[in-house]
Amino acid sequence: MNDRGTPTRADGPETHDEYGHGYGYGYGQQYGREDQPYHGHGHGQGQVTETGGWRFDAHDLTSSYTDQQAYETYAPFDPYASYTEPRPRPGPEQAPAAVAPEPAKPGYTLPPVQESAWSVDGGRSRLLGRWVLLCVLLIQAGLSLRLRGTAFQDEALYIAAGHHEIGNILNGTPVPGDFEGYFSGYPKLYPVLAAMVDSVAGLAGVRVVSLLLMLGATALLYATTRRMFNVRAALGAAALFSVIQSTVFLGNFATFDAPAVFLLALSFWIVVRTGRSHIAAVVLAAPPAFLAFGTKYAAGLYLPTLVVLAVLTAYRHRGVLALVRGVLLGGAMLLMLGVAYVFAGSLGGISQTTTDRAKGADTAMTILRHSSEWGGLMFLAALGGSIAYVVRPHMGEMPWVDRQGPGRFRRISLGVVLTGTALLAPAYQIHLQTEISLFKHVGFGLLFAGPMAGLGMSRLVGPHFRHPQLGIMLYVLTLVFGMVQSQQAYSFPDSREMTAILRTMVDREGSYLAEEHEVPAYYLRDKTDYGQWQSTFGMDYQDRKGRQHSGPDAYRAAVEDAKFDVIVLRGTVTPEVDQAVADALRGNPHYRLAAVSRFTTSKGDGAFRIWVKR
Amino acid sequence: MSSSVRRVRALAAVLVAGALLAGCSTFSEEGRDQYERSRGAQPGAVDGGDSGGSAKPEPPYDVRPLLEPEKKYLGVAADGAPARMGAVEDFAGRAGKKPNLVEFYSAWGDRYEQALVRNSWDYGALAFIAWEPFGTSMKDIASGKEDAYIREYAQSVRELNLPVALSFAHEMNGFWYPWGTERTSAADFTAAYQHIHDLFGEEGATQVIWVWSPNVTHPMPKVKLEPYWPGDDYVDWVGVVGYYADTGPSTYQSLYGPTMAQIRGFTRKPLIIAETAAQAGERKPAAIRSLFRGTAERDDVIGFVWFNFDKETDWRIESGPLSEKTFKQEAADPRFGFDVTKP
Repeated sequence: MNDRGTPTRADGPETHDEYGHGYGYGYGQQYGREDQPYHGHGHGQGQVTETGGWRFDAHDLTSSYTDQQAYETYAPFDPYASYTEPRPRPGPEQAPAAVAPEPAKPGYTLPPVQESAWSVDGGRSRLLGRWVLLCVLLIQAGLSLRLRGTAFQDEALYIAAGHHEIGNILNGTPVPGDFEGYFSGYPKLYPVLAAMVDSVAGLAGVRVVSLLLMLGATALLYATTRRMFNVRAALGAAALFSVIQSTVFLGNFATFDAPAVFLLALSFWIVVRTGRSHIAAVVLAAPPAFLAFGTKYAAGLYLPTLVVLAVLTAYRHRGVLALVRGVLLGGAMLLMLGVAYVFAGSLGGISQTTTDRAKGADTAMTILRHSSEWGGLMFLAALGGSIAYVVRPHMGEMPWVDRQGPGRFRRISLGVVLTGTALLAPAYQIHLQTEISLFKHVGFGLLFAGPMAGLGMSRLVGPHFRHPQLGIMLYVLTLVFGMVQSQQAYSFPDSREMTAILRTMVDREGSYLAEEHEVPAYYLRDKTDYGQWQSTFGMDYQDRKGRQHSGPDAYRAAVEDAKFDVIVLRGTVTPEVDQAVADALRGNPHYRLAAVSRFTTSKGDGAFRIWVKR
Repeated sequence: MSSSVRRVRALAAVLVAGALLAGCSTFSEEGRDQYERSRGAQPGAVDGGDSGGSAKPEPPYDVRPLLEPEKKYLGVAADGAPARMGAVEDFAGRAGKKPNLVEFYSAWGDRYEQALVRNSWDYGALAFIAWEPFGTSMKDIASGKEDAYIREYAQSVRELNLPVALSFAHEMNGFWYPWGTERTSAADFTAAYQHIHDLFGEEGATQVIWVWSPNVTHPMPKVKLEPYWPGDDYVDWVGVVGYYADTGPSTYQSLYGPTMAQIRGFTRKPLIIAETAAQAGERKPAAIRSLFRGTAERDDVIGFVWFNFDKETDWRIESGPLSEKTFKQEAADPRFGFDVTKP
């Protein structure tokens, strides 16, 4: 902060004193009779207007004051007006106050200001912005908390894994199963946090943590956008991001996604926030970026964006220095990743869940169509914002504001990078031909497109709030889509009845086969151990005759041997294994259908079928 | 300024068009259904209330403890029961012990008698329904022609959520019923039985204790039982039907022995005497004693059901004072009777 020569418009409140002082000094000098420092807002009243008046003189920029050039950009009043001397009052204190001699040149320089829109944010608008942001966050929280449901498979898995990882860290007890091998994030990060919260506040508490993280991400996006553009764009960005389906969904979903989004937002903010600082300050953005990657490997897709942004937002530096800023950030990330690789070893989970995920059968067309439904509106807003930004860095609301902003190249690059990042996840998943989790991943990209979308929204509203209805329409449309889509996605089988039935059947000894075993294992963790539950995702089995089986065949053999005390099938998650188990149950004297627990999800009706050993 | 207004309008038009395009599936009929379902409402429901909320049904009754209880069932089929429990209470008074199994008959096409099952459960007895498929055929049942009725019946069982023993098409190895050997093949019988069982499974009616109920074999010694056996995964109890008559076998071993031996050739499922009684006469007290002692001696026989009717002949325990006295004496055996509601 202190290495900056002079504060700028977009600075935070902590710069205010400095700011006020500068002005106080400046105006004191300018008008000679102001002995109170000027405080940014509230001008146009008080002593000045009581005793004097403003004369509008557009072409005479108070040139009688030699040091004015340094301040004219910041004039909080109309700079076309020039001050007219009031009639001096008669009195003994007529003699002007002694004025310290001005240095010929100020000992600092003011950098050009980043103003891409038309308004100059005074303290009042910033305060107002924060109030509106609070409303935006409240609506986001309301939309997220509106979603209800029992634990989803992944939530149950991560929390259960977290408990085991805590045991592993504290007591060295081995974890059941190779979590590193198939988790889409490092199991010693988020799962540990989730398990700690779970011990205190249960699943609801873990989900509230997700909500706080998503609210934090929205707030950081606001701060980032305000820093890059202005308050109006920031509000637009926060408003749009807060109501898209992924944000609403992840705000009530205890998985890697919410912390990863938050950490990316934090890193993004640090990159932009240190844009006017020493180039080395950008390294601060590396730890959260690295943590985001560790929390969820898919976040790695956005690390290059952060590096490019480090170059583009090096406002005080052009050319090589800006590139060095990017190199510094990239290098810091690579260094941390390298160290982590040395300590953690290779993680099978990265390839299995992220880079080399099993190819699906979803066509590019389907993926594109769904992606556009999930994030299309915000993407269009970002696209509009990018184009508008390229065409014109400012709007003509305050034509006297210094027009010196980022050049066209930088504006184009910024638009392309930020808006283009929104396309990364869909593009990557088109490559993988799978739509799994894409509805969540589009939110990662839209976080980066947020500033451009906010800018687009503020340009849509136009100068002097000419078309507020358009902005409201865009927000409401996005909200309606987000609300409906998040509800459609947030629909897991209600497992309450199923676990209530199983509760009467399980003990500490039995062996249980369950499709989505994580859910009963989580809810029955007081009666059973995680290791007692067998998933339907795959296993090896040696039958009584000593033959080795794998795949669905292993399940068939195990069920025929009555290896499991309880079998729970849902019938849709792993159809091949389900079929094998169902075949083995047919004509099997060891099992009896004990219960059928029906549920309804947005995809249709289903049932947990529970067999017990007779 | 007009150019910027045009731009704004163009942008707005693009946005609205994009929204409409995207709206295609989110707000399509299917999308609306998805939304309603995920809110816990049935698609098309008018109120759209939160039915998935607190009003969750209780877990289905777990019948397993009833399948092989430590003590024996003392069952009865009595006139008017369990609609009116007077006859059962009278029987209990005479026998000196409350029966814990009440059998009654249900014709094909009858709805599941929830009230009767509840009546008998409230009395402290498990309901045992002999489901008699009059007016249909095993082929039709197996081919799915009766599915609607069977499903409705199963749903009703599930809804009541009380255990019930269900004996479908009993005495299938006899010739006297339409589903008997004269008009139905063993394959059709097992197919029908399995089909009903599967439909109940699909409907989640797991409260049923499945009884496979052949007649004792001595009237038709040539009919082998095994072809009629639906399979271990389809049957919980083997309910043998056999009466002590004036003529014919008069001991437990001679009456049930051959049949039980044959059954043990293909299954280890628990046995229950699904229908029995003794014809009024001199042999009756001895028959009663034989029934109790024979049942008590065999660990794999979990009880019997006394057919307490005066029909064709007086099968009731009160047909003679000595019979009644014998029955009371034998029923005092602590091995008979237990609380089915707390097995």
